[in-house]
Amino acid sequence: MSHPLLNKDGGERHLLLGNEAIVRGALEAGVAFVSCYPGTPSSEVPDTFFRLSPDGDYTFEYSVNEKVALEVGGGAALAGAPTLVTMKHVGVNVAADPLMTLAYIGTPGGLVLLSADDPGCHSSQNEQDNRYYARIAGMPVFEPSSAQEAKDMTRDAFELSRRFEQPVMLRTTTRVAHLRGPVDFGPRPGALHGPDFTKNPGRFVPVPAVSRARHIALLENLTKIREAVESSPWNTVSGNGEVGVVASGMARAYVADVLDEERFSGRFRVLNLGLTYPLPEEKLANFLREVRRVLVVEEGEPLVEQALRAIAQERGIDVEIVGKGKHLTRLGEYCTRQVRLAVADFVGETDATASCPAPEKLPMRPPNLCAGCSHRALYYTIRQAYGDNAVYSSDIGCYTLGLLPPLSAADFLLCMGSSVSAGCGFAKAQDKPVVGFIGDSTFFHSGITGLVNAVYNRHDILLVILDNRTTAMTGHQPNPGVDTTIHGENPSKVDIETIVRGCGVEHIRRVSPYNFKKTMAAVEELKALPGVRVLIAEEPCVLFARRTLRKARPNVAYVAEQTEAVTRCLTELACPAFRKDGDEVAISEHQCAGCMFCMQICPDIKARKRSQS
Amino acid sequence: MTGTRVFLTGVGGQGTLTATIILGQAAMDKGIDVTAGEVHGMAQRGGVVESTLLLGGYRSPRISHGEAHVLLGFEPLETLRALPYLVAEGGTIVSNAEPIMPLGVTMGRETYPSLDDIRKRAEACASRVVFLPCQSIGAEVGALQCGNLALLGAACATGALPLTPDDLIAAVKARLKPKVVDMNLKAIDLGVAAVS
Repeated sequence: MSHPLLNKDGGERHLLLGNEAIVRGALEAGVAFVSCYPGTPSSEVPDTFFRLSPDGDYTFEYSVNEKVALEVGGGAALAGAPTLVTMKHVGVNVAADPLMTLAYIGTPGGLVLLSADDPGCHSSQNEQDNRYYARIAGMPVFEPSSAQEAKDMTRDAFELSRRFEQPVMLRTTTRVAHLRGPVDFGPRPGALHGPDFTKNPGRFVPVPAVSRARHIALLENLTKIREAVESSPWNTVSGNGEVGVVASGMARAYVADVLDEERFSGRFRVLNLGLTYPLPEEKLANFLREVRRVLVVEEGEPLVEQALRAIAQERGIDVEIVGKGKHLTRLGEYCTRQVRLAVADFVGETDATASCPAPEKLPMRPPNLCAGCSHRALYYTIRQAYGDNAVYSSDIGCYTLGLLPPLSAADFLLCMGSSVSAGCGFAKAQDKPVVGFIGDSTFFHSGITGLVNAVYNRHDILLVILDNRTTAMTGHQPNPGVDTTIHGENPSKVDIETIVRGCGVEHIRRVSPYNFKKTMAAVEELKALPGVRVLIAEEPCVLFARRTLRKARPNVAYVAEQTEAVTRCLTELACPAFRKDGDEVAISEHQCAGCMFCMQICPDIKARKRSQS
Repeated sequence: MTGTRVFLTGVGGQGTLTATIILGQAAMDKGIDVTAGEVHGMAQRGGVVESTLLLGGYRSPRISHGEAHVLLGFEPLETLRALPYLVAEGGTIVSNAEPIMPLGVTMGRETYPSLDDIRKRAEACASRVVFLPCQSIGAEVGALQCGNLALLGAACATGALPLTPDDLIAAVKARLKPKVVDMNLKAIDLGVAAVS
């Protein structure tokens, strides 16, 4: 039986994750091509497409990075395929180069770029507001606030993109990506295609003369799109009165719930913006003329607020505009409590919603490397060799969690792929040895260019490639190096060592980090050498090995004798399978993954067969 | 609005999100408006997992402090940590009584609060409090994760949700794999029995 998301007929209702609703919306729009680089909070979109791909009529790929994903997708859209390209917000930084020019030459088949923003930094290194990108590039933006909208807006984004041959941004946030709600399905037509590509270098090859003309074409197109947005059903006015609220994107949900409360109900005229760029200027101007005061509620940057101020100024509309301030900041996510406070404040009232206290300083549950994670073993070994004498240049992945003591294996980090290049620069500017850490997927993403640069510019760095044979952090997506995916063996594997050698690195060692002695010996050898050195630490992610590779580890560790060495092992390794019962240290058989690393560094820990249960 | 905001909290790996979805399905099957929320990502690795279920027409999938009518705690320390989400008056708490120790506690650096204290603080905040031993119930019916269904069964039995134990049973029968249905139904029975 095929998955409900692939059903041809409409009329069904399913409880969907926001990201699953986007998949259905794209399918209802006849999507023919999907490319991506996974990243929370976008990942369930491509992962769902990948899971369904054997039964789907679209082409799907995990690209090696976001720039490549958008270029591959851009090519498909030029060739006439309705195309979805998905990434998280910082991924758009990587893809920004092709994005700016795609908007100039246009995308005849239709191209929707999913930018999944992360206000609140739930799983990201910043909370940049990618609505700015839409303004730099000149692309329309849809911002859903429910699962149903996520589905319908995705479908409409495709329709708009195909109609105007412009790339369109579908901008979600963590909250809408990971909410669940009922979604009513429309019909799914099957993958569409066309128009066929007509050679036209005067449009599609942006040499300067072409680019200047295409910039004009883009601005003219945006004017036409703005006129279409004026009558879009995604921007609505409701309510009456002289006091207004303008709500945009996900903030519409918080505003709706607060204004539905008894004390506020019926008191406001509300403008809801779902298609948020280009803004419907006439509609906004008319709204501003109808109210005396208006509160603008949008997460992130004050883009709608600034536009409203400009509209009021240009048209001489006498209205008080209240936006960012004490309650509505540029930081993080909004919530009903925050919006309630802002609305109460706006109308000169107070809000004192009471809540129960919880005691302070409760034990926390910080994210931690899993029991048996090979990154822990590698970090332990590196610290044995270097201690605090080296500076550790980290990268984006599970292994960033090595920043916590006692492993303390991350001193700085910029972005995907920065471990190599930032580490090189750091090493040039001071005397300490620099060790960089990068995962396999991140290496393919953007580590390779840094490594070429390191060799070419004669840098001095030990780069450790933590090759756990999958993209672990975001949910075990395939990358070019993997052996297996959920659909079977990877038929076209790319070998990391061959790439490293091809980049011109002379000193390469390949070890399993679970083998302490061999890894230590390799580290000591590389430590003594100058220049660019690479240690490939290869061991499948412990969760991936269990779930996908079906690798069973029959033995578990146990404490044979309570000694100083055992306590030291607990303190220095910080494996979550260890626990302290009074003065004694024990290892949980349930938690122990059977990596057998601890017994190599502590003679009082032994192995035994896992008990049958 | 006469809706119900339900805040669910637990530890990564416990199955809190699956429990949220089953409850959401039960509500949708009964024709109740559902918005649910969850945050994935780094939380999976032994961290706190919080999710929400908003029944009766809410648009926001978030629950702020002082807004949850029902707090479902799949781990007692997390129940304690989440108390500020509960409405100041008239709230209901249904919680697992059996701890999962955080790393700081197992490493001997931090102390787990006493279960007595957790119960007292819960009772001071809510007008209805039910604690039940979810892991033990799970073990009794044949799979640890079934303890979650016991907790949901108990929650439905308190009357604080617009769902009855029978609604939950119908959702389990309709939505779960046939081979796990029986043990989950047993767990629901034991959960309902814990509410007296």
